Amino acid sequence: MSEAVREVNGNLVVSLTGEIDLDRAPEARRLLLDCVKRSKDVLVDLSAVTYIDSSGIASLVEALQWAKQRGTDLCLVAVSPQALRVFELARLDKVFAIHPDLDAALAGEN
Amino acid sequence: MAAVAQETPTQTRTDDAVVRIQGLQAHYGARQVLHDIELTVAPGEIMVIMGGSGSGKSTLLRHLVGLMRPTAGSVELLGVDITRAPALEMQRLRRRIGVAFQGGALFSSMNVLDNIMLPLREHTQLDRQTMEIMARLKLEVVNLAGAEDLMPAELSGGMVKRAAVARAIVMDPALLFFDEPSAGLDPAVSSALDDLILKLREAMNMSIVVVTHELESAFKIADRITVLDQGRILTVDDVAGIRRSDNARIQNLLNRRAENAEVDAETYLRRLTGEAAPAGDPQAAGTKQDAGAV
Amino acid sequence: MQRVAEGIGKGVLRGAEEVGFAGALFLEAVLWAVLGPTRRQPVRLAAVVAQMMQIGVEALPIASVLAATIGMMLAIQSLYSLGLFGAESFATVGIALSVVREFAPLIVGILVAGRSGSALAARFSTMMINQEVDALRVIGISPVRFLIAPALFAMMIMVPCLTMWANIVALSAAGLFVTAQLDISLAAYFADVVAALSVNDLAHGLGKSVLFAALVALVSAVNGALADGGAEGVGRRTTRAVVQSIAAIIMVDMIFAFVVTAG
Repeated sequence: MSEAVREVNGNLVVSLTGEIDLDRAPEARRLLLDCVKRSKDVLVDLSAVTYIDSSGIASLVEALQWAKQRGTDLCLVAVSPQALRVFELARLDKVFAIHPDLDAALAGEN
Repeated sequence: MAAVAQETPTQTRTDDAVVRIQGLQAHYGARQVLHDIELTVAPGEIMVIMGGSGSGKSTLLRHLVGLMRPTAGSVELLGVDITRAPALEMQRLRRRIGVAFQGGALFSSMNVLDNIMLPLREHTQLDRQTMEIMARLKLEVVNLAGAEDLMPAELSGGMVKRAAVARAIVMDPALLFFDEPSAGLDPAVSSALDDLILKLREAMNMSIVVVTHELESAFKIADRITVLDQGRILTVDDVAGIRRSDNARIQNLLNRRAENAEVDAETYLRRLTGEAAPAGDPQAAGTKQDAGAV
Repeated sequence: MQRVAEGIGKGVLRGAEEVGFAGALFLEAVLWAVLGPTRRQPVRLAAVVAQMMQIGVEALPIASVLAATIGMMLAIQSLYSLGLFGAESFATVGIALSVVREFAPLIVGILVAGRSGSALAARFSTMMINQEVDALRVIGISPVRFLIAPALFAMMIMVPCLTMWANIVALSAAGLFVTAQLDISLAAYFADVVAALSVNDLAHGLGKSVLFAALVALVSAVNGALADGGAEGVGRRTTRAVVQSIAAIIMVDMIFAFVVTAG
């Protein structure tokens, strides 16, 4: 349950955990939108996410849209193979920048 | 007929079956339309239920999704016996099941987007923006982007079916039921729907039950095929097993001559003269069902 | 002979079944309205309001025309028949009571049956045949809560409102004729009308109209729910719904009048 937000090299790193489903998506959405509002580039670390359904993915899409409007960036880190298949199904892999791990993501950002 | 029923091969009896039908009997009034149905579907499996018109496959589907109650037996979906579950448990279960109807069954008073969002609005407390994005994502998945604001009456047959799939999968169900995906569509469109079914299983690991009379479609998508004939399960087997089966009725199905192949002289004569068949005659029941059930 | 008796018997049974079905629908609709919110499945106000617009507001023009015509007709007939006894001055009392207790509820009831009852029956039976009702059920939405309850409650709210409106229009139209014929002022006419009417008369008429509203909604719902047989079935069900609604209204009107005035 502990989504932590920390700052690394001027980027916000948000770690989502556990199952992001219909019941928990609103919470994740609020957290993501709060981070985006701080007008910094956001890295969403999904390495501790065991399951994400389309309500969770929709929250990520909305956060990305907000970030783009603010001229900042939002990218995903460590997307599980299960989630990646769903992303590909909806062609979202073309919309999000997806990095294998945090180091690669930070290197990409700077 | 008993000899044929015994041919049913061993069924996978895993404990985590997503569908388990046991001893199902169904009647329309006094007439029995389904006999001793036993069926299991494993997680991630695509099970195709096949049969000619009047075989009872539509009736079986109505029992599977809880639109009809069996006279006897049980229907378990995702571990919940829907013939006995209390209303609240059914309500929870409904969130995890999707059904795409033969004619689409889109609500004609709502546009496509509202149709797809309806299950979300009724079942969840999500933000409207989240629901909209979820619905649009599903429209992308079924290749119907841009149709959000169209009314169902403005859609072609193939589009209606795809919108119906989008609505059925909007809550990421674990179990999807699909009634006659190919009916009324030209081969190219129906083949695209078959691809979509395969894609959904692949990406979302859904278990899918498809009812169809289209052999080609069944062979393309099925892991296993259940063949129904006159309200009884003739056989359950994988595609290769069905292909090489030497059962006459299955061969008839394969050769698409199911409609008229099964009538014996006496039944045929009774049918022509309009004389009522004796009650409980399965042969007559099977043929008479054509008019009622479809 | 036996065939005929059997046919009648079956018809009566089916009729009783449908009446029972209608009663069950009514109870379920009320139950959803009361308990729905606690289960996060409310009868949606927006749906009720949308129905109210269709049933009530959009019917205002035609209701006004019919009410004015009926009022005028009553005035003409009353003055003529009472004139035979030289009792024209009593015409206002007769007109006021007839309009408020009988004609306004009846004409609005029949209008709504023809206009909205047919629309509801057509909508419900089309949804039934297109499997939209099945779709609602597999999504986990009660068709009674989602479709029938909004129409039922909208009817029960709007039909008495329309009846009240028809009272005013019919009495005004009658007034135009009466004042011209008897050479009295409109103010004096309305004073007579108000003096002639008691709260009881008004309640009698409006109470009846609520009953008519429920009848029309339930008859339409039952016919819609029993629909089969494609587009032809929709037409058959719609016709049946309107005929049954109007018949039910007229019979219940008589029974209501008998029970209330006898007591």
